Amino acid sequence: MPVNRSVKKLIQKTTFLILIATILFFILTPIFFLTSLSFLSSREAYQFPLPILPSLKSEFVAEKSEKGYLISIYEPSTGEYESILDTNKFEKMSTYFRRELSIYTSPEKLKEILSQLDNGDIEKVHFTMRKSLWHNYKTFFKVTGNAKAALIRSIQTALVTILISLTLGGMAGYAFARFSFKGKEQLRFGILFVRMFPAVTIALPMVILLAKYGFYDRPVGLSLVYSVGSIGLTAWITASIFMGIGIELEEAAQVFGANKLQTFFKITLPLAFPGLAASSMYAFIGAWNDTVSALILTQSKPTFAVVVYKALIGSTGKINLTAAGALTMAFPAVVFTLFIRKYINQMWGGVKV
Amino acid sequence: MEDLQSRNRSLNKWLPYILVVPSMLYYILFWLRPVLTSLIRSFTGVEGGLTLQNYKLALSDPLFREGFINTAVIAGVSVTIEFVVALMLALLINRKFKGSGVLLFIAMIPMALPPVAVGAIWQTGLTTNGWVNSLLIHLGLITESGKIYFMTAEGWKRLLLIILIDAWQVIPSVMIILLAGLQNFPKEMKEAGYVFGGNAFTVLRKITLPILKPTIVTAVVLRLISAIQIWLIVVMIYGFNRVPTLMERVVYYGDQVSSLPNSFQLASTNSIIVAIIVSSAALIYLKVSRNSESKEV
Repeated sequence: MPVNRSVKKLIQKTTFLILIATILFFILTPIFFLTSLSFLSSREAYQFPLPILPSLKSEFVAEKSEKGYLISIYEPSTGEYESILDTNKFEKMSTYFRRELSIYTSPEKLKEILSQLDNGDIEKVHFTMRKSLWHNYKTFFKVTGNAKAALIRSIQTALVTILISLTLGGMAGYAFARFSFKGKEQLRFGILFVRMFPAVTIALPMVILLAKYGFYDRPVGLSLVYSVGSIGLTAWITASIFMGIGIELEEAAQVFGANKLQTFFKITLPLAFPGLAASSMYAFIGAWNDTVSALILTQSKPTFAVVVYKALIGSTGKINLTAAGALTMAFPAVVFTLFIRKYINQMWGGVKV
Repeated sequence: MEDLQSRNRSLNKWLPYILVVPSMLYYILFWLRPVLTSLIRSFTGVEGGLTLQNYKLALSDPLFREGFINTAVIAGVSVTIEFVVALMLALLINRKFKGSGVLLFIAMIPMALPPVAVGAIWQTGLTTNGWVNSLLIHLGLITESGKIYFMTAEGWKRLLLIILIDAWQVIPSVMIILLAGLQNFPKEMKEAGYVFGGNAFTVLRKITLPILKPTIVTAVVLRLISAIQIWLIVVMIYGFNRVPTLMERVVYYGDQVSSLPNSFQLASTNSIIVAIIVSSAALIYLKVSRNSESKEV
């Protein structure tokens, strides 16, 4: 009987572990490959099958040829050398090394290595070169031209969105948490209804409205649209945060002679601060991740999300470059989400539609 | 003391309104006004004047009809799959085993990823020489001649692919909402269920699910709202016009072919249709789930 039970327990435990491993596999594999892809050189990225891990350095062998020098690269997957270049132009070699292999080397350096072949003593020269891992990231910003400016615009947009939605949404949230007043329930429902509307329905006519006030194609204009969605969410979340702070503390402060405003800024706000910071991250992520409103509301000054989207949609871009762009885009959003995970329970636990 | 209370009372009367009015003004200016403009625009012809032509044009577009069906299928199937899997995962993680915190941490990564990054992951993965085929070869599951051609998949297979990708990103966020609900859950209730002879399944059906219901409603409504608006993944993987969805039509007219004389009207019309469908789907769901609740009580 006890043997039977321990067997059953073992089976249970194994099934459980297999389940967890499967979940991890499905979540992590795609993320792993995107990351790996962003570090692959163009040559690696267009091989099939793709290498699982990016190489850190490459081995070469060079020999004299009729045209100049014949350079071959060691191919780890086949274990053989493959010819890649046959030229005597060092400038061209350097460019090829940078573009296709992500190796930064000067024509002079290559000339120095290959000149060993010139006096005819040796037939072949072997050399190894380190790969620049950040090549795709640098190149993505260089070739898309406006990526750096777009990144700055995305940050600006997100910050202004946080400012608007935390100020207005926080005020409403405080009112929801502390007071009962006429129309409160209707307002809470109204906020939900506003969120149900797709952002595009607002974004399309906003083109004209924003153009009238000179906000079209500017980060501020986008923030105004994003705030429509995030004010309500902020109000909801902040309401539950303020409710978590006992009203007794505020009353005590008022007994000691503080007025409402002083009480709020000296007692309530500091206590609510971590929660408010977390809820503002929702506004950040909403603004950071959006593509559709940004597509419609920007023309010559896109956000970073639009730049990455366009790099992929045209499919003219190289996939390793796009992977680098997508990861740059994903990094802050992932970091912030992991930062706010402590508050998830507080945010969603109390929410009732 | 008396003085303080009366001071507070008069303050309490008008303070909530002062706090709420800025948001309301904001909504009037930047929500109500644009929505009305969109609505009017959808009824405006190219040369001005009220007309139903935009709706006629939009509704008679075969790609719109296809888009409507695709959207309905994607939303219906994906919300169901996502909910069931997310619930199972939430129940699993809620058992608080060693490392459940780490699992939760990892599960949050896909939900944090920007849609553009998700599009990039799967676009680079599903091309014939992409990482999915590479992985299968490295694992020895297929040979080089057996490469799978995901991009040329037809019909329901295409939709299935979209649903799976959508699920990949969304399941974690549904799971987290459900998990939050489960963690506020009185443990005694469940124990009582077992004491009175219920098995795991009846306890789940009779106790856990009913108590979890408000959280489930929240999760499903939020998912439904965003599932109907699916477009980016579709477009990043298949491009415009191949797998039309309602939202894809909006972006198509709003951004892709914005130079046509009536593209703005068509974009507005489509966006109004999406808005109506999204809000009525959410409201119907809320109503149905409220009704069933009041019947039980």
